[in-house]
Amino acid sequence: MKPSRWLFIFIALVLGVGMGLAYGWFVDPVEFFDLTPDTLRADYKADYVLMVAEAYRAEQDPGLAARRLAILGSRSPSAIASEGLTFARENGFADSDIVLIQELVTAMQAWSGISP
Amino acid sequence: MRRFPWDLLLTLVIGVGIGLAYAWVISPWRVFDSDPVALRADFKDQFRSAIAASYQATGNLPRSQARLSLLGDSDSGAALNSEAQRMIASGEFTQADQLAALALALENENVPGVLPTHTSESSGTVEPETVATLPAPPEELPFELTETPEITEAPIDATQVVETQPVVTNPTLRPTWTPIPTLGVPFSLIAQDTVCDTTFPEGLLQVIVFNSARRQVTGAKIIVSWENGEDQFFTGLKPELGNGYADFVMSPNITYTLRLAAGSDIAEGLIAPTCHTPSGETFLGGIKLTFQQP
Repeated sequence: MKPSRWLFIFIALVLGVGMGLAYGWFVDPVEFFDLTPDTLRADYKADYVLMVAEAYRAEQDPGLAARRLAILGSRSPSAIASEGLTFARENGFADSDIVLIQELVTAMQAWSGISP
Repeated sequence: MRRFPWDLLLTLVIGVGIGLAYAWVISPWRVFDSDPVALRADFKDQFRSAIAASYQATGNLPRSQARLSLLGDSDSGAALNSEAQRMIASGEFTQADQLAALALALENENVPGVLPTHTSESSGTVEPETVATLPAPPEELPFELTETPEITEAPIDATQVVETQPVVTNPTLRPTWTPIPTLGVPFSLIAQDTVCDTTFPEGLLQVIVFNSARRQVTGAKIIVSWENGEDQFFTGLKPELGNGYADFVMSPNITYTLRLAAGSDIAEGLIAPTCHTPSGETFLGGIKLTFQQP
């Protein structure tokens, strides 16, 4: 077999791998389910933080709020709430909602981790 | 004649196979930016709990509906009721109440006759005030930019007019229609039957609770009291008998009084009846009470 033939075979192999990767990653990627909330898109996470903040305003239970925030990852509740606050500020949330999240951040920063 | 390059084609196919194996099995595309619909069931439950808690705090039903729609439940009300039952079973009554309240609000919203309260254009003396509005919502959230509906504890007077403010960008106040959830309408005792059935436990007090749409209500707290005591129990703990079903075993010769914690007619003078079998033997019968929201 001529050396040029081997070159064509190599090119065909690389081309095939590339086509397979493109199809498998972009055209028809693996569909995931049973995901954890830390994989949520940032706006969904921020909206979840807002939900927790709305509930916290009425319940005034920092322990419960921290438990709710904990599903968004292993970071501290105050860090998760702060991330939501940053997103809210950068994406034009209403002032009233930003105030709610700010209150939640403050509460989480002050919360010792020991429920009364 | 040149022969077809089968070796190249075969190599290409092998390459595609290797690429797919890598992309689908060895290193799938990293998951991020997922939607709530893809969450694991227990995380969806926590998401629903947060929505219900938020609803109880704000009373903003459109926003809660938008959030629930993200979870992809075919019937959000049923999903909430089902989760409320699980919460009751695990002793988390507060969260169960929140879930049941949101489910009830959703059901009431779909019932014709739930009052859409007319909100008219304000005039004269009402000072326009700056109203906080929802954020620019995420693109896929069908939020409605409305003010939080009020929750009324009593039937709404047909002539009642509720003033609302439109979105801040428009200084002209326009009429809108704002649905108001009617959570506080008391339940009526629509039936009280004596049950003489030897297959039931003796002295069984059965309670079934329906909402105004004739759907059974999960998580309704029932208070039963007698001369020297009181007890509470909830509908939905025996879903095989109905989401709105609950029961309690009465002792002989004790008179009970029963009502729903959410507000209802009071069933008084409840005492386990004495029944007779066809052979003449006596046994303690039961009572079946049916409540419905008007």
